[in-house]
Amino acid sequence: MKISFILAFILLCISIYGISVSKNIIKSIMLYNIIQSSVIIIFLNFGSIGASDIPIISELSENTANMVDPLPQALMITAIVIGAAITALGLMLSIKIFHYYGTLNWKDLIEREG
Amino acid sequence: MRFIPVYIIFTPIITGMLVYVINKRWFNYSVFLSQIVITVLSFRYYEYYNGLIDRQILVLGGWDKVISISLRNDQLSISFIFVTIFIWWMVLIYSWEKRESNFKFLFFLLFIQGTFLGVIQTNDIFNMFVFIEITTIISTILIIYKKDGYSVKAGLYYLLFNTVGMIFYLLGLIFIYVVTGSLNMDIISEKINYMGENNVVVLSFIFIVAAIGVKSAFFPVYNWLPKAHGAAPASISALLSGLLVKSGIYAFIRFNQVYKIDMLDDLFFIIGFITAISGVIFSLSQKDIKQILAFSTISQIGIILMGLSSTSGSAYIGCVMHIFNHAVFKSLLFMGAGYIINVYGTRRVTEIRGVFKNMPLVSCLMIIGMVSITGAPLFNGFVSKTVIKYGFEGNTIKTVMLYIINVGTGTLFIKMSQIFFGKFKIKKVRSYNNKLAMFILSIVCIILGNFYIPLTKGFFGVDISFVKAYSFLNWLNYIVSLGIGYLIYKWFIEKDYNIIKKIRHFHISFYNTNIMLVTFVFIMIIWSYLH
Repeated sequence: MKISFILAFILLCISIYGISVSKNIIKSIMLYNIIQSSVIIIFLNFGSIGASDIPIISELSENTANMVDPLPQALMITAIVIGAAITALGLMLSIKIFHYYGTLNWKDLIEREG
Repeated sequence: MRFIPVYIIFTPIITGMLVYVINKRWFNYSVFLSQIVITVLSFRYYEYYNGLIDRQILVLGGWDKVISISLRNDQLSISFIFVTIFIWWMVLIYSWEKRESNFKFLFFLLFIQGTFLGVIQTNDIFNMFVFIEITTIISTILIIYKKDGYSVKAGLYYLLFNTVGMIFYLLGLIFIYVVTGSLNMDIISEKINYMGENNVVVLSFIFIVAAIGVKSAFFPVYNWLPKAHGAAPASISALLSGLLVKSGIYAFIRFNQVYKIDMLDDLFFIIGFITAISGVIFSLSQKDIKQILAFSTISQIGIILMGLSSTSGSAYIGCVMHIFNHAVFKSLLFMGAGYIINVYGTRRVTEIRGVFKNMPLVSCLMIIGMVSITGAPLFNGFVSKTVIKYGFEGNTIKTVMLYIINVGTGTLFIKMSQIFFGKFKIKKVRSYNNKLAMFILSIVCIILGNFYIPLTKGFFGVDISFVKAYSFLNWLNYIVSLGIGYLIYKWFIEKDYNIIKKIRHFHISFYNTNIMLVTFVFIMIIWSYLH
């Protein structure tokens, strides 16, 4: 078990705790990003168990047995792109909310109707 | 002919992009062309396989089946495709007058249709993740389309909570990929069968169900739904409540077929019942007409989940039918509510009065929707509810639970039907396309309620001739349940006691919802550990 795997798992737990207690919208969006990053690190670690080489066949590295699995990397790039889109949309909406309500606190927002 | 599934996904997306780029009013009519094309293509596809579509797999890109993306169609997905195209027709007709020159709206509407058809047809779990996320993003944009404070708030809540839920999907995907080494649903299913009981497989199933539970509004994690469906424009509410919620239910059916884990079925039944009953209770306390309908969607989802928890037998068939029936009558009700709100300028159910005198046709169509959802014989809600009830036969507790929810639904629509009585002066609004869409939907309600035996035989190959619409007992059952509902309404709901006010003002904030989500995951883990 690698140390980065354990660290990513700890990061996942901390950020899930954070998103369950944080009352600020911007912090929620940031914590969403951190959760996603930790999940991505976990997946990349699973893909590279017992391997060290980059998954490109060239003169230097012809031994495919020692290559990391390229599929998790390809998948996680897609996940990062989706995360970026969601972050951008979420931040845009939080600006709108601040214009309408003058607050970025989830608790205050509930009390304000309309 | 083989590539029709791909064409069905990309025709609306490309048309939407062209509408956005060309940005001319005459070109906007091409959305109907795209609709006609995909309608014809889907019928051709159904005919080509003689209606016997069973696991029709299309591997894309010429790669090996293990690593490539593939699309799959079977009876379930092809019927979902037909319903999707039909509901989009109705939404386009309903909103055409208002949105005719609104190229941005049409772009998003068509794009989301393509991605939804992708969710239905995909055979690859990562692809499903991507399609569901795109659906979430675009539905957020459609929810905030009015750009007032309330809808922006609801949109942000919807976006963040659904994406946090989908993180759990990603976690489940990682576990299943590590164990089986593939993302193809068929290969995963084979390997799981081969491996037998495995803790990691169960854990990945739990994570995926948690994410899907958020998407389809199961009990502890549904509070995004009434906000989002209440805030959206009428046509989008009809779409969200009618179909897009079902993307989660559809994924739930698919993953149940893949994993075949039955240790959680009892828990799903309990969750379904709590979802249904809490949806009814919250709905009874509301005063906003759209909130009432949104909470009623939650209760119907609960009924669907109750039946789906037994993945074989007639309760399962009844649920699949109820998904389609619900899509039809809930769209009809939301469209009617949108029309009434547009005319009266208010959303409070206590202030809208005299609808029947002012708008007889719209009221008749709304009443057809209401009797369908409460399960009157000769209308479509009755058929699926009766099939679900037959699936529970021999189990008294389950039958009683279903009856309680039916009475609750009856009460709730008696409460809503108060808008028809009384007197109120309004100015006339003429809108033919709104009425046309609602008229077609109500005709479909009646057709599905009368000719259900040949239709189910043709589509699912199941004989449900035991559902008798003309039986005296069924009529008596319906009238008694409505009577109990009326008494509950008169004696309890109309008085507006303090407790009802408290329930109405009960809101859960975003961070508490995340605690609910984590609790939901832990309940499932503990349950699977105990079995």
